Amino acid sequence: MSAEPALLSLTEVAQAIAQKRFSSREVTKSCLDRIAQWQPRLNAFLAIEPDEALAAADAADAALAKGNARGALHGVPLAHKDMYYDAGRIVTCGSKIRRDFVATSTSTALQRLKDAGTIRLGSLQMVEFAYGPTGHNAHYGAVHNPWGLDHITGGSSSGSGSAVAARLTFAALGSDTGGSIRMPAHFCGVTGLKTTYGRISRAGAMPLSQSLDTVGPLARTAEDCALLLGLMAGADPHDPTAAAEPVPDYVAATRESITGLTIGVPSAFYVDDLDPEVERILDETIAVLKREGANIVQVELPDQRQLAAAAQLVVAVEASAFHKRWLIERPQDYGPQVLMRLQNGLAIPGVSYLEAMRWRGPALAAYLAAVAGTDAVIVPGAPVPAPTLAESDVGNGPDAEAVIQRLTRFTRPVNYLGLPSLAIPSGFTKNGLPVGMQLIGRSFDEAMLLRIGAAFQRATDFHERVPEPA
Amino acid sequence: MTKPTPKEIKAMADVAGVPVDAEAAARIAHSIGPAFEGFAAIAGTLPFDLEPASFLVVQTTKVSK
Repeated sequence: MSAEPALLSLTEVAQAIAQKRFSSREVTKSCLDRIAQWQPRLNAFLAIEPDEALAAADAADAALAKGNARGALHGVPLAHKDMYYDAGRIVTCGSKIRRDFVATSTSTALQRLKDAGTIRLGSLQMVEFAYGPTGHNAHYGAVHNPWGLDHITGGSSSGSGSAVAARLTFAALGSDTGGSIRMPAHFCGVTGLKTTYGRISRAGAMPLSQSLDTVGPLARTAEDCALLLGLMAGADPHDPTAAAEPVPDYVAATRESITGLTIGVPSAFYVDDLDPEVERILDETIAVLKREGANIVQVELPDQRQLAAAAQLVVAVEASAFHKRWLIERPQDYGPQVLMRLQNGLAIPGVSYLEAMRWRGPALAAYLAAVAGTDAVIVPGAPVPAPTLAESDVGNGPDAEAVIQRLTRFTRPVNYLGLPSLAIPSGFTKNGLPVGMQLIGRSFDEAMLLRIGAAFQRATDFHERVPEPA
Repeated sequence: MTKPTPKEIKAMADVAGVPVDAEAAARIAHSIGPAFEGFAAIAGTLPFDLEPASFLVVQTTKVSK
């Protein structure tokens, strides 16, 4: 076990606090020390609250001494994407418009983590209103990738990816509407779980697209994601779209072997026009899974470009509708790129939007038929490793949307189908940038993805590598 | 399904109550054009009785390997 508590996994640190090998104060201080070291380089935090965090840690230690542990994450300090409402606190949503917005309620996902005993380190950066995949932010500056400071983190959960990778927080909530958990996981070398639509309540989470928004964690390991998912999943009276499907023991699933499982590799789209290093790492990942006992088969998927196009129609309209009042009253307060993207939705007829919504059922059925006989499908998180901040700073230029759509072309189809997908660190480029793979599963079968991801992480050490300050 | 022209987009934005200038309309047309093209093969082909809620039916149907 590491002598520096911040370097432990979430699962390890929760056990260490419970067994009194580390106090919550020692753990929190360790995170705060790393935040002080890294924040000037990364810009991963929007707010850092050392005094409050240490006071909460002391209270957690005192409670534990009296035998009053709150839950599975008692005394564990975390920070989350700044779009989860926390009653009485400012929640900026990465925007100027909500710079002073004080939440009056607490999001269900966040409350369930609080109920498990977590304490707050501060809040994490994000793309303005979660509408962008690079990590640039016109109001608060770009977040930097700890593996290469002039490279993007991916977005929109930019601070979550950067902070988890640099070991500033043990895990962080993200959100995923078009790839916003999996992109930062891919570019920053962390494990990210995009959950099935409806698996975790969206109550109190800033909306972007009510039909595609999902809540999920970024963490260091599949086991950590399993722990967090088990705490957050399940029905919620505050969100009628939160599914009442049973919540299995996800952590138990991570201990199972993958011998005899079948993993599909698409014959097209997800393997087309890959950066050579991403292609190499995909092949190496498949080889590891094979060595661990999985059967690898090729799958012929329906046309994924149609799914990506449908996702774009849905998100554009729903995001514009959410923002319409501010588009009228405060257009000058948006960053140029987010304003441009919100305006896109104005030009899509209602009938086109509803056709895209009506097609979701048949499209999901066709996908599931195509992957029958497999337990999961593996594809890259993105076709390329992290681009530089400069080359992806496209603002509201004429090709901005095309650049965004290219970056997210492997993630948007999954959102349209509402499927779960686990992004796992799978290798590094020759320049030292991480590359991740997505495991895509069936609706509400996150357990299978976590099982495969954990088996891969038992056989590799990509998730254990820690970036060094430049 | 054909993608809207900048002129049509300007009119739609006006009707929506969020007017955009000609430059923004041209940029929007360029941005969303590929989505219309990508979805063109589906648009206008869906059966009469298909509702958006069919997605939830498929999602919650137990599918085994």
